[in-house]
Amino acid sequence: MSAKNVFKTAELMKKIMKEYNEAGRKAKEEGRPVAWVTAVFPVEIIYAAGLFPYYPENFGAVAAARKVTHDLSTAAEAKGYARDLCGYARSGIGDAYSEEHPVGKILEPDLLFCCNTQCGSLPKWFEVAARFYNSPYFLLDSPRVGLETDRLCIDYFIEQLHEMITFIENQTGEPFDYDRLAEVLHLSNEACRLWNEILDSAALRPAPFGFFDACFHMAPIVTLRGTQEAVEYYRALKEEIEERIEKGITAIPEERHKIYFDHIPCWPKLRWFSELFASRGALVVASQYTHSWAYSFDLERPLESLAENYTHEFVNRCFEYRVKRKISFMKKYDVDGFVLFSNRSCKPNAFGLYAKSKLIREQTGLPGTVFEADMADLRLFSEDQVLAKLEPFFEQLN
Amino acid sequence: MIHAAGFFPYGIVGGSTNLEEANAHLQAWACSHARSSLARALEGKLDFLDGLIIPHTCDTMRMLLDLWEHVHSLPYMENYRLPRQANRASAGKYLLGELKRIKKGLEQYRGAPIENKALMDSIKLYNHNRQMLRKLTDLHANYPHLISSRRLYTVINASMVMPREEVSRLLEALLGHLEQDLVDEAENDHVRLLLSGTLLEPFEVLDYIEEFGGTVIADDFQNGYHYIESDVNTELDPLEALVDRQLKRIPSAAFDIEQNPRRFFLTSLASEKKAAGAIFLHLTFCEPENFDSYDNLKAMQAEGLPAIRIETQFGGTGLGQIRTRIHAFMEMLGGESR
Repeated sequence: MSAKNVFKTAELMKKIMKEYNEAGRKAKEEGRPVAWVTAVFPVEIIYAAGLFPYYPENFGAVAAARKVTHDLSTAAEAKGYARDLCGYARSGIGDAYSEEHPVGKILEPDLLFCCNTQCGSLPKWFEVAARFYNSPYFLLDSPRVGLETDRLCIDYFIEQLHEMITFIENQTGEPFDYDRLAEVLHLSNEACRLWNEILDSAALRPAPFGFFDACFHMAPIVTLRGTQEAVEYYRALKEEIEERIEKGITAIPEERHKIYFDHIPCWPKLRWFSELFASRGALVVASQYTHSWAYSFDLERPLESLAENYTHEFVNRCFEYRVKRKISFMKKYDVDGFVLFSNRSCKPNAFGLYAKSKLIREQTGLPGTVFEADMADLRLFSEDQVLAKLEPFFEQLN
Repeated sequence: MIHAAGFFPYGIVGGSTNLEEANAHLQAWACSHARSSLARALEGKLDFLDGLIIPHTCDTMRMLLDLWEHVHSLPYMENYRLPRQANRASAGKYLLGELKRIKKGLEQYRGAPIENKALMDSIKLYNHNRQMLRKLTDLHANYPHLISSRRLYTVINASMVMPREEVSRLLEALLGHLEQDLVDEAENDHVRLLLSGTLLEPFEVLDYIEEFGGTVIADDFQNGYHYIESDVNTELDPLEALVDRQLKRIPSAAFDIEQNPRRFFLTSLASEKKAAGAIFLHLTFCEPENFDSYDNLKAMQAEGLPAIRIETQFGGTGLGQIRTRIHAFMEMLGGESR
């Protein structure tokens, strides 16, 4: 996404994200509980309960994009939190202890909700925060799922959703509104459907939209999923993309190759990566990361459906499932190669990546590479090291 | 369950010092326990194994079995997906389901059911192992001259890899001998220490502590007191009893409980055992431990108990530095070099 290629809709996003942040501050002032949640969490229940959901991971990503993770982290490291912990967690914990708040203060929680579908770092970070801010904490536990649908895990999750709703009712003193939940789930479905249609446009040759664009436009699907604002936002973005297709505006000037990328981007180097790939005529078209928000809820069986969607998210699945899913994306988007990011901040995505890379090369015959870096902390990023992996890869594409 | 199925349970606690081959598969920033355990398999040092079960205590363990299967497959491989919360009703129900799933898998691999009677017999044998080991631990805490810290923990770790029937027999004999030698120590001048961490490693730490006049009187290592702290209730249905024990175990960093009860467990253990100080052995890259570490140290300080944190690694070097830090800490506590 070059500077002259900026989407009009970007302005709309700035506006709705600003309004979202203001709503958070207002909720605090008015005594409406601010609930911390994780990215892959049934936030639909939080919206339905009238709580204000706040995403500390989003705070971590913003700090990373503004290249201040290490400043915040220093305050956490001074307390003994090691540099090898998740960069988002270090940003959040660092902000708690720091006098300086380079991206504004994190919104303090009245309640904390965490789902460990993604990893074990989030619950530990949220525990630390629950102690620091002295606020009640609820963990939705999601054991790892294998290749097949896992009834044991779904039933366990449903039971916990009931426990969580009781927990919320006890906190708010109000009975949970299942009619409202159905409305929120409907809005969530709509936003997810639009988001995935947008992502699909990357399959066009040449494409109007790629992974780095998706990274830019994903904030609403993460934070506002379940609201009318998210639906409207993605409707507008989809219209703009259709307009671009008609006018022949493409994501990069000369698209010669399509690339699959896992998983999360290096936020402080997003532009560097996008320009590097574009300069080689390579458009990154898909990633498991941006495709995570592809939920589809059955309004007739809300809790069951929430459990099925959130427990069976790819990041919680076995090695074999994840290899299969990567390959299915590569086929769907008809890619010419793949790049896998061994992210220091994210053990569940990084461990096993070298074996996966080898297996994918064997099964698809595609060129691929694995590079080491961190999604947030520039001290754990070396341009030279990344280029040493990417340059030979680009050569293989030609 | 493994024992009751007629299999030989063998606890893997790291072990290899040659991590090169493992590093090709598992990034060097995975904890050395994971890497050195995998390295042992890759070096062919675990070729006697028919199967492997990895409990999910952290993200690394959650990812390890699949990777292991990919690079060094075994006929029977299974994840033990522990619930990560232990204080709500759903945890027990789920864990019972998970244990039933694992039991079924073991039965399929074995080709015959695991009878309740056999399971109860195994539970009783393991209870007996642990009771003997706790007796030995108490004996050591009260009479440090009788059996050194190094020897005590060597016995506990041996019990994880030896035939459990043999462990019971040998422990009874050992306790008999030691009790014969009991003499009240008029001058028990050891500085009493609490050790805490995920895994006790390297064992040289115990030598250094004793060299500088200390002894270990309590710990919460997975290959220490955590392994032996409680028994399975033999009055309950065996699977339900296993669930009951698991959910009531002493706190560990692997379970997500907001108020980190482990810090209070550790301070009260220190006071109960009259510890003069605490050493946290922090396995580098151990995430759950790191997230609790600051609070644990702070809790010790709040009780006025001197405490230090030492970074450790399996197969790592740095023994000299560890010795220097223990020396300085022991001097501060008034330990006398032996």
